[in-house]
Amino acid sequence: MKRILQIAQRDFIAVAMTKGFIIGLLIFPLILVLSGTLLPRLFMDTGYQVEGRYAIIDPTEVVQPELSLALDPDTIAERRLERRRGALEELPDMVRDVAQIETEQDLLELLGPLPNVRLVELSPDADVEAEKAWLNGETDGLGHTALILIHDDAVQAQGAEGEYGSYDLFVVPNLDDRDLGFIHNSVRDAIITARVARQSLDRDAIEAVLQVSRPAATTVSQDGEQRALPELNALLPVAFLLLLVMGIMTGSGTMLTSMIEEKSSRVVEVLLSAVSPMELMAGKLLGGVAISLVTMVLYLGAGLVALVSFSMFGLLDPWLILYLMIFFLIGFFVIGSLMLAVGGAVNEVSEAQQLQMPLMLVVMAPWLLWPVISRDPNSTLAIVASFLPPINPFGMVLRMASTQPPPTWQVWLSIGVGAASVVGAVWLAAKVFRIGLLMHGKPPNLMTLLRWVRMS
Amino acid sequence: MDSAIRLRRVTKTFGGMRAVDNLHLTVPAGGLYGFIGPNGAGKTTTIRMIMSILFPDSGEIQVLGRRSALSAKDRIGYLPEERGLYRKMKVRPFLRYMGRLKGVDGSGLDRRISGWLERVGLPGIESKRCDELSKGMSQKVQFVSAVLHEPELLILDEPFSGLDPVSMRMLRGLILEEHARGTTVLFSTHVMPQAEEICENVVMVHKGQKVLDDSVPDIRSRFDPRSIQFEPLDPGADTRMLAAMPEVEEIGEGERGLEILLRTGTDPAAAMRRIMAAVPAARIELSRPRLEDVFIGLVSDSASADDADGLRAQLRDAATTGATA
Repeated sequence: MKRILQIAQRDFIAVAMTKGFIIGLLIFPLILVLSGTLLPRLFMDTGYQVEGRYAIIDPTEVVQPELSLALDPDTIAERRLERRRGALEELPDMVRDVAQIETEQDLLELLGPLPNVRLVELSPDADVEAEKAWLNGETDGLGHTALILIHDDAVQAQGAEGEYGSYDLFVVPNLDDRDLGFIHNSVRDAIITARVARQSLDRDAIEAVLQVSRPAATTVSQDGEQRALPELNALLPVAFLLLLVMGIMTGSGTMLTSMIEEKSSRVVEVLLSAVSPMELMAGKLLGGVAISLVTMVLYLGAGLVALVSFSMFGLLDPWLILYLMIFFLIGFFVIGSLMLAVGGAVNEVSEAQQLQMPLMLVVMAPWLLWPVISRDPNSTLAIVASFLPPINPFGMVLRMASTQPPPTWQVWLSIGVGAASVVGAVWLAAKVFRIGLLMHGKPPNLMTLLRWVRMS
Repeated sequence: MDSAIRLRRVTKTFGGMRAVDNLHLTVPAGGLYGFIGPNGAGKTTTIRMIMSILFPDSGEIQVLGRRSALSAKDRIGYLPEERGLYRKMKVRPFLRYMGRLKGVDGSGLDRRISGWLERVGLPGIESKRCDELSKGMSQKVQFVSAVLHEPELLILDEPFSGLDPVSMRMLRGLILEEHARGTTVLFSTHVMPQAEEICENVVMVHKGQKVLDDSVPDIRSRFDPRSIQFEPLDPGADTRMLAAMPEVEEIGEGERGLEILLRTGTDPAAAMRRIMAAVPAARIELSRPRLEDVFIGLVSDSASADDADGLRAQLRDAATTGATA
């Protein structure tokens, strides 16, 4: 046992104390933080300004004044704030701090520059065909963008069925869809206001009548009450799956490369002078699992700190973390031992790719299953995936983190199946490992590995 | 005397090829044995079986009184033919790691490492990374890792390969020192003159079978060619009277002069005196049997003439490249 621990310790230090590993560890959360903070800013239309001159032919003569008002910068600013005021109040303090939104002015600035639009009023009986030339006519800085023709019946319903008319819109080529959207919204808003006024109604009163605010649901549990977060329910299975896959692959990958390095540098037989092949394999597996555990604990800890910071820790069942660790160990020892056998069988990293393929498919499988299992965690496919080794750790963790977790007996049955698969995988890997260690030259294929299993 | 290594009817087959065939071998405790044979004779496979890295298909192996070397690895030093170092590891941590795996712990380990590095002529390289070492330096570090724990049994597989003449001489001295300390040494080589120079006993293998197992002096006496190399002082001297001498069986042309084969039972010293009296000599010496010739002689019965020539060429190549120390 002492030798096994010495091998594990060396392998752990050789990997965990390198700059590459530490940088690799930090890069993933860094990418997440950057994705959460920078990307929304990068993709936000904060820099784009809607601008141009819009010409309007309004036979009703009541839409144009409303549109003129709707395009006023102060009105636009007020409308923007109204739409987002509710969202601002619901933002957690931490997000407000990160986004540096304290006042309404901050929010306005975050939403980008206000449109710079001028309305050109044309005669109500102007000839549309003749005015279309205006769109491509000479400008004095602010371009001609749109010609709006309000229908006669846009404000006053006509005909037997009392249908309202609309408007026609003519625009310059290649108009940005943000300009187009702004024009439609503004004209629509002006027409509605005109219609409401024609009916002698109060638009604010109507909107107030139609407005029913949607409160956040509150989760009630034995531990107390907490605001429900449906987004967390959707994210939790993905986060757990990601942790599981990353944890397993970090240790397995480093074991594979370190084993290939020991073989290609011919140090392996020197080691075999001091330890048996089985002690070597056990030491390497322990070293690999320690590397994976560091990764898991770090990322899991960061996730828990984030949950505590957002006061959402209560939404996570602590038992899930325990089960996650159990299924991680099962997944690691199944995939890791087989990866180690591959490392022991080949001479170079490039030779390992072909043999690694089936194992990579095992790791890819849960990503394909995730949408199906998330939608229906108790479907036949989900149940089969949670019991079928070697993908059962992934399948069961996805089910457990879903909104409809499986009964406890199924979880423990899957753990039992997983434990048996660990024994089988380690047994198989040991046979390949023992023979492969001293094999040099032509890289083996899967058939060769199976022959080694039968030989030893 | 107790045996350090004992093999009985050991056989190992790879696919259809029998690498080791019904091998019996006993290396007594304290012995210095050379395990020799051409490439592919089964030396490395046998050594790996002794080390329990491979397991025999049949037969028994005992090492230091144990049924398997696995339970005696702390008492065995092994320098494999396929050897290397962790490229990115520094020399001292590597040796410390190997020492600990071999059961040496504590501050004594560092002292041993420094002492051994001094002995192999590599003081001050402890903090160098292994990939910065030359091939010769790496070989020495590997040798140190094999002897650091003062083993009772030292098994060296082709220890001299890749070494320059000076390093070879140093390593030969270190092996002899280890033996003098009481360590049993078994080393394999396909360079027969090396074994001839160092070993007390020689085990020859060919195609997985043992063809000779004897002490070097006994081999010399058993395979004494009874021949004298003679170079006359006067190159034009008449040497025909030598053939008429009763002690002489046959005279042939040698590489540098004559090759005189004596009759069985002849006293070589008396024959040499009579030859010198008959024809003044520039050089006269008794031929010593070379292991290479003994080996070829032993296997030529079972090998074809072409096979024997091939073996001879292979052994000569090995001797010229490996025995320049």
